[in-house]
Amino acid sequence: MEFTEVLGIRRSIRFFDPDRPVERDKIQKILEAMRIASCAMNAHWLRAIVVYRDEVPAETMEALKLPVAGVIQELAPVHIYCYADLSVIERDRGARPKQLIDVGALNPSHGWSYRFVEEFVWPQLLKPLSESPEYPIPVAFDNGGAATQGLLMAFNEGLGACWTAFNTEAAKEAFAVPDDWIPHYVMNVGYPLESREAGGQRPRPPFEELYFEGRVGKPFRRDETVVKELQAANMLQAPAPLPGRKEEVRELSRKLGLPE
Amino acid sequence: MGVAKPIQSYESVVAWGDSLQRQWNGDPLAEDPDKLETLDAFCQAVGKDPDQLVAFCFLRRKTTGERFTSRQRREEVVSKLGEFVAASGLRGTAARRLKSNVVSFLTHNGVLI
Repeated sequence: MEFTEVLGIRRSIRFFDPDRPVERDKIQKILEAMRIASCAMNAHWLRAIVVYRDEVPAETMEALKLPVAGVIQELAPVHIYCYADLSVIERDRGARPKQLIDVGALNPSHGWSYRFVEEFVWPQLLKPLSESPEYPIPVAFDNGGAATQGLLMAFNEGLGACWTAFNTEAAKEAFAVPDDWIPHYVMNVGYPLESREAGGQRPRPPFEELYFEGRVGKPFRRDETVVKELQAANMLQAPAPLPGRKEEVRELSRKLGLPE
Repeated sequence: MGVAKPIQSYESVVAWGDSLQRQWNGDPLAEDPDKLETLDAFCQAVGKDPDQLVAFCFLRRKTTGERFTSRQRREEVVSKLGEFVAASGLRGTAARRLKSNVVSFLTHNGVLI
């Protein structure tokens, strides 16, 4: 699938085929996509635990579920629990940016050297950052980007996916999660029972309300030619609700015995 | 206690019917009598009428009077619902559907379930 189409076809899928397993190679591809994401200081805080729903004891599964999100977890055969490992910075002490120097990604042309990492980056930037209460903010930003790459890979592989919250205490106990990992969300993965369009692209706030040019309050002008180009590339698709969406949802609810 | 008058006349059941109509068009409660029958049976089982059942799921803050969902009561209702489904002897999709009829009623009345 073309990149633009993958972006366009992504939806939060909430109706999965509960009986159709997901191939292991597709799960690996999701993880591989996460691993190559852009990451500040090459730190790679994201950790993921792949869990197969049917291998989890029923009692544990019940404990992991939260209201509302629980239905999605019940239907999706694979759950990828995402966490931030905050100990990375303290453990590596600047080793990761040095790797980027070694491979020519960070260079003296842009102010980088081993000594710069040892004298400034580690003691004056990374160490204080890792001790700051604000530390999880950039970590969450980076992990969101990495996780999204995995999410898009799922759709590239013909799967559907949806982020949900989960019972973090139950997960910690069930999956031996270290104390210093911060829970994010779980990616529920499976084959969609919904149509590929899943009712159309979801409503979003107007472009001009979100993005600015030069200063806040001056909207970034949206060029209709670009919009048309992205429509032709299937990135911008027909907006929800598509005709027949409610009927589709009702039929799926009945088929799966879910509330109407 | 339980259901003391026609179940359709309870405020929460009217709200359920209205919300279902808005969601799906038509008259889902009339089209699928199972829905009301299940709710009736569940209400009898827990000794509450539909309005009491909804009210039971919420508490009010003493300071502000603000209504909020009670986690403990929600868990109690979920547990009762599990017992109700188990007692029905149904399994698989039929059991799930039975549970879903009550969950639908609660959901359309704003209860986190």
